[in-house]
Amino acid sequence: MVRKMAPYLFLLPALILILFFFLIPLVETVIISFQKYVLYEPYDIRFIGISNYKKAFLEDPDFWISMKNSMIWTGGSLLFQFILGFGLALLLNEPFKGRGFYQSVIFLPWAVPGFLIGITWRWMYNARFGVINDILLKLGIINRPIAFLSLPDKSLLAVIVANIWFGIPFFAIMILSGLQAISPQLYEAAEIDGAGTFSRFFYITLPLLRHVIVVAIILRMIWIFNFADLIYIMTQGGPMNTSQILTTYIFFRAYASMDFGYAAALSVIAVCILLAMSILLLKITRFESEV
Amino acid sequence: MRRKRSLAYRIFRFTMLGIYLLFAMFPFYWLFVTSIKTEKEVYSFPVDYFPKRPTLINYVNVWMNSRFPRYFLNSGTVALVSSVIVTFIAIFGAYSLARYNFKFKSQFLVFFLITQMFPLILFIVPLYIIFSKLKLINTLTGLILVYTSFNLPFSLFLMRGFIEGVPKEIEESALIDGCGRFRMIMRIVIPIIRPGVFATFAFAFTGAWNEMLFALMFLNSEKKLTIPVFLSMFVQKYDVSWGEMSAAALISLIPVAIMFAWIQKYLVRGLAMGAVKG
Repeated sequence: MVRKMAPYLFLLPALILILFFFLIPLVETVIISFQKYVLYEPYDIRFIGISNYKKAFLEDPDFWISMKNSMIWTGGSLLFQFILGFGLALLLNEPFKGRGFYQSVIFLPWAVPGFLIGITWRWMYNARFGVINDILLKLGIINRPIAFLSLPDKSLLAVIVANIWFGIPFFAIMILSGLQAISPQLYEAAEIDGAGTFSRFFYITLPLLRHVIVVAIILRMIWIFNFADLIYIMTQGGPMNTSQILTTYIFFRAYASMDFGYAAALSVIAVCILLAMSILLLKITRFESEV
Repeated sequence: MRRKRSLAYRIFRFTMLGIYLLFAMFPFYWLFVTSIKTEKEVYSFPVDYFPKRPTLINYVNVWMNSRFPRYFLNSGTVALVSSVIVTFIAIFGAYSLARYNFKFKSQFLVFFLITQMFPLILFIVPLYIIFSKLKLINTLTGLILVYTSFNLPFSLFLMRGFIEGVPKEIEESALIDGCGRFRMIMRIVIPIIRPGVFATFAFAFTGAWNEMLFALMFLNSEKKLTIPVFLSMFVQKYDVSWGEMSAAALISLIPVAIMFAWIQKYLVRGLAMGAVKG
């Protein structure tokens, strides 16, 4: 009897915590999303059907702005993190003197929490004393300082650049570990058959890395889509929501306007989008067929 | 045999790696340089790339003339308590997942995996409501509970990988010698998987130390803030002192940097394992 119970007993504390902090809140979120639930109107909490969802899709332009920004933010960050991370991994794939040291140093950004990255870049972007303006002026790219974080047409770009800087090491680590699992004999054989650098890359490296690449991109996509700290610190979504993404918008709805019902509905929408994007990506890359 | 790369390629590689190194390191350098500048130097334009008169005044101000030490202590308490709990719970949970076959095991595993897909933001509203009822708003206990459970699923997976690497024969001989399962885990398994225990602890510690949004939502009295909340409020002020801000930021990075240096190789290995396994 005790023997049969043992695995459950060992797992019990973990199960209780995870059930209590994931499952119950999850159900609760869905329920609240159908309610009028504003925290400072505690006597007027009631079910209002799908009104919160209707409001988001039909009446709230800020929701659509933050959706659009979420797509640009996720897509733009992901694309450049991936390309630059891939390039870095290729350069690091062959041994050279000091490679180990180089690797551990450039992976540092990955260890820094989002809010600290936000603080650092916010200071570097500073309109009057910022070092980025100084560098761009000295290189002759601009001719007077720019207030990157408070200009509507620059703010989103500015936070994306900071995010790209942050995410390159992650892709480099993932892809490098994939590259090192490829047998060198494959390349030697291809070379004997007369394959050049490019065909070796497209016919050996890419196909063999597909698994790692798809996993890395999906993990990162979800993560970037949800990554609110950086933007919250750098711009708070401003000016005029021009750098507001869906998750920062949800946070503001919950934190500043205390409109819990609406924030819950937006959260449910965000989860559906993430799920749809993940499934779409798996389908496009025909992922299951090889697992 | 490894082919010798052409000189042109090697120059190209050297240049590109050099440029990237500058790009990757510059923000850290800039944070550090700002933290040791005098106020006059911080606010000068064109900027000074090397401080002429390095000073520790910003560090002294942050540590002596603000509530920062208090927040450091709060963050430390929250991170330490929750990561110790996570590690203990994860050892036993992961042992169960690694060594037993039981009903619903695969369902549990899928469930733990799915929890990782949800945005944390989704849980802020319902947990705020639940915690208000339990009188856990504006307490460090509430945060400890949140961080413990949110860092648990990944810790279970991380630890499970390490336990699966322990040879079963060692466990069996200990059990034959009359050791109970619980004592066997404490005395045989844990010493063997020590790197995994450290890695899990460091992962949970870093996660709790760095978290901002929940803390921002749940803490509201000035004495109870954690570092991320304090800095996120500090940075929004109009007259923020960037020298002190940088000093505070760097101090808050120290525990995490130590942890990360300590466990980097395990984390990378765990990540790679996860990627290969799918």
